[in-house]
Amino acid sequence: MEKAVTELKPPLEVQIRELRVKLEGREILKGVSLSAKPGAVTAVMGPSGSGKSTLLKTINRLIEYYPGVEVEGDVVVGGVSAFEMDPYLLRRYVAMVFQTPNPFPHLTIYDNVALGPRIHGLAKSKKELDEIVRWALEKAMLWDEVKDRLNDYPSKLSGGQQQRLSLARALALRPPVLLLDEPTANIDPVNTKKIEEAIIGLAREEGTTVLIVTHTPQQAARISDYIAVLYEGRLVEWGPTKEVVLRPRHEITRAYLKGEI
Amino acid sequence: MYKRRIMKDRLFTLAVSVLGLLALAPLFHIIYTVTVRGVPAILEAGPSFFTEPPAPPGSERLGGIAPALLGSFWLALISTMLGIPLAFLVGLFLYEFKESRLARLVRVFTMSLLEIPTILVGMLVYTIVVIPLGGFSVAAGAIALAIVMLPYVATYVERALDSVPATYREAALGLGLSRARTSLIIAGIARRGVLAGFLIGFAKAIGETAPLLFTVGSARNSLNPSPFEPGDAVPLLVFQFIATPYENWIKLAWGAAFVLTVTVLTVFIALRVVVREVRL
Repeated sequence: MEKAVTELKPPLEVQIRELRVKLEGREILKGVSLSAKPGAVTAVMGPSGSGKSTLLKTINRLIEYYPGVEVEGDVVVGGVSAFEMDPYLLRRYVAMVFQTPNPFPHLTIYDNVALGPRIHGLAKSKKELDEIVRWALEKAMLWDEVKDRLNDYPSKLSGGQQQRLSLARALALRPPVLLLDEPTANIDPVNTKKIEEAIIGLAREEGTTVLIVTHTPQQAARISDYIAVLYEGRLVEWGPTKEVVLRPRHEITRAYLKGEI
Repeated sequence: MYKRRIMKDRLFTLAVSVLGLLALAPLFHIIYTVTVRGVPAILEAGPSFFTEPPAPPGSERLGGIAPALLGSFWLALISTMLGIPLAFLVGLFLYEFKESRLARLVRVFTMSLLEIPTILVGMLVYTIVVIPLGGFSVAAGAIALAIVMLPYVATYVERALDSVPATYREAALGLGLSRARTSLIIAGIARRGVLAGFLIGFAKAIGETAPLLFTVGSARNSLNPSPFEPGDAVPLLVFQFIATPYENWIKLAWGAAFVLTVTVLTVFIALRVVVREVRL
């Protein structure tokens, strides 16, 4: 039963407890425990198929739309179990950016960013909504490039700009927790740098709890405070970034960081 | 060896092209015949073709097909107003609850509706609408047409929604949108495909004859503007007049067939344009 949780007080720590996830009988996560602190960036790494995306999608419960899903264990957000919350409310606090830039093509730049706040009733007036949209676009490092053409459609933007627009759309909810699933995998270096700066800024200035799936050890070293390494559905390493990069405890981490697996 | 392969390739290409043209031949034949016989009939009748009821059988004059045009207008309007919103919701449901038992049942049901001879739909509406209401009406015909178009539009809508990449769905759900709002976002992204489905439904409604046989009442001389009275429809007039021995009615049937062909072709050309412009 979902309890009547209607509000969470940021900052929100994310605690993953003995999480097991099966998809159509196949065990993807085999008991993962991990926590992500407010104001810090936690990089989730690991080879393809190690369960990184599944982990992220379990935190905001998107995984529940996949066929044949079974979840055991718990995800606790700000002291409340995610599974006891209304999932739509949960996603107001836990926003997500995906690997493919996916701004809605039929909505203008403005409407893309304004959609979340409108649905959740976060703005009381047009002026307030304008301010949220501007704030989100600034935080996503996109405002200067689009401020004169907010009524254009996203198709007029480059791929990297579209990804920053996707980030702004998520940020418009002012989420205390932000999930990023390889957000720069398909993005050029200049845009990657902007997105990385935006992520660091969110953690430092807004106290956002950031979990980012990344494939590049360099990116993890640049932006993360903690690294968690998944391998075949298990957490094999978890610690402050410097320690993990300089003195990996586990053989798998070493091989992974060298690009051998 | 090499030459033989080229020969084979050419032969095959030739065969496929000839067969392709053969498949198109009936379409061109229809357009040609309907134009050659329909246009002179309309010219002979003059403007009254569009403003008058048919002249009496065997008369020197042609008269017109005004009641049929009026009836077809009502039929198209009412059947799309009933059928398209319902079909849209069915399509949304099938997309949203794709794997559920109820969705599978609904899918089987719509698919069988697609296969049922449309004259049976006409008979169904005769029993459940015409008899209880005590008489034929254009509205009863529109209900039959709405049922006929339902599976086409619903299937088209479902396919259009399916063609939207899953990442948009996750983005919408990830923002905390409800499933209903999410599927409306997806419908917005797929709006051209959805519109194509609506046009298919419209074209179906305009061209069908069989569902009207037991429903609208073939009131060929009535210019009564109420859709709740018996009326006529263009394809019905074609079907019934072409089988009479009266030369003036046969001419009217050809003229009406031309009007019908032009309308349906226009819708399908519009459809091609809409579908070609689908971009994400």
